[in-house]
Amino acid sequence: MASLRLATSAARRVPSLFHATRRGYAEASDKIQLSMALPHQSIFSSTDVVQVNVCAATGDMGILANHVPSVEPLRPGVVEVIESAGGSKKWFISGGFATVHPNNKLTINAVEAAPLEDFSVESIRTNLQEALRVASGNGTEEDKLEARIEAEVYESLQHALGSK
Amino acid sequence: MFARRTVARVVAQPSLLAAPSNARNMATLREIELRLKSVRNIEKITKSMKMIASTKLAKAQRAMQAGKLYGEANAEVFETAKEGATGSKKLFLVISSDKGLCGGIHSSVTKATRRAFNNAPDSPLPGVSVEPDSPVMVIGDKSKAQISRVYPNNLRLTFNQIGRDVPTFADAASVADLVVKSGVEYDSVVIIYNSFVSAISYEAAAMEVKGEKALKESEGFKKYEMEDDFTKDLAEFSLANALYSALTEAHSCEISARRNAMDNASKNAGDMIGSLTMQYNRGRQAAITNELVDIITGASAL
Repeated sequence: MASLRLATSAARRVPSLFHATRRGYAEASDKIQLSMALPHQSIFSSTDVVQVNVCAATGDMGILANHVPSVEPLRPGVVEVIESAGGSKKWFISGGFATVHPNNKLTINAVEAAPLEDFSVESIRTNLQEALRVASGNGTEEDKLEARIEAEVYESLQHALGSK
Repeated sequence: MFARRTVARVVAQPSLLAAPSNARNMATLREIELRLKSVRNIEKITKSMKMIASTKLAKAQRAMQAGKLYGEANAEVFETAKEGATGSKKLFLVISSDKGLCGGIHSSVTKATRRAFNNAPDSPLPGVSVEPDSPVMVIGDKSKAQISRVYPNNLRLTFNQIGRDVPTFADAASVADLVVKSGVEYDSVVIIYNSFVSAISYEAAAMEVKGEKALKESEGFKKYEMEDDFTKDLAEFSLANALYSALTEAHSCEISARRNAMDNASKNAGDMIGSLTMQYNRGRQAAITNELVDIITGASAL
């Protein structure tokens, strides 16, 4: 059971290698069954894919076939799906959960997602200014907190688009 | 003498009854006309309601399909974590809506809730015993009225103004939020809704969503690794997801049931118009015939 983790946080868990690993890091011939669903649309429905890179709250991680079962909340960020060698698609998601199940299945439930090409840099910039203005304004604590979360999402969007 | 008397009697009878029967026919003719007019109006109304429901149905079904896939992806965790605390405290969340004229939609979920409480053999939760003091929350005024008659002490929260249009994730999320914040203790939430069998039939079904504590105690759930403890977030998110899936399916069932109900109503109205028109024409012709008989016998008596 090999997993590739590129984490930003300092505290790291040692990946357990005591299972009978049948393959190394390089061979990705097995595929993992991905079901990525939004409330209004199903992007992937039990499709075999090679690798999925998700923006987990604990850090970015790549999920390959036969990953250890785990539950990961997702922060607003980019999810990349590599279907076959060479082809990959990216979506920006607003948040949700990614669950790897014991039977080599990965389900991602996201509230909103859109391909990176669909975003307009101009609108992001304007909305970010607006959100920052409200966050530092004199509304209620709840409004300011919402605006701060909004600003974080826009900043993450800018970062995602900048490093496309 | 005999002839004169019989003629007199024959003449007398129609003239005796002619005025009142004519009057009665005129009165019933007027009544029949009024009824015809009102049934024709009703037919127009039910036909247009059926048209509206048909156009809404396409959109609702698309949302339902997406919602079902979303719910299935969400339910995968609960498949693995199936074994859990038995004898757990269940919170029933009944999904209906505020509007009527949709056939037996609302009574279907209410009856399913009753069967679950009575541990009936055809309960939507087969083989699970439900405590009589289980809390119940209702979405939709129609079912609220029915349930508050049967289980008034179990009602905790009710929601309305949901289901007027295709349900959005925001609706489901706000309901889930209020459920969690309400402070009602539960181990799992049982969502009772109408599931879409076909365009002409639906049946009540139950969806169980485990709460945070039940998830943690479940053996299957322990297989999942988590860096920090996200069980509470997962439980709340899953509740919103399951609720969204159930809401879209229930909405779709309601629209298709309304379409069928209005279709039947229009057909019945059409039948009534046919039979009333026959009656009206027969009455009209009878009145004319009677008048003719009067005139002719009057003329022949001269």
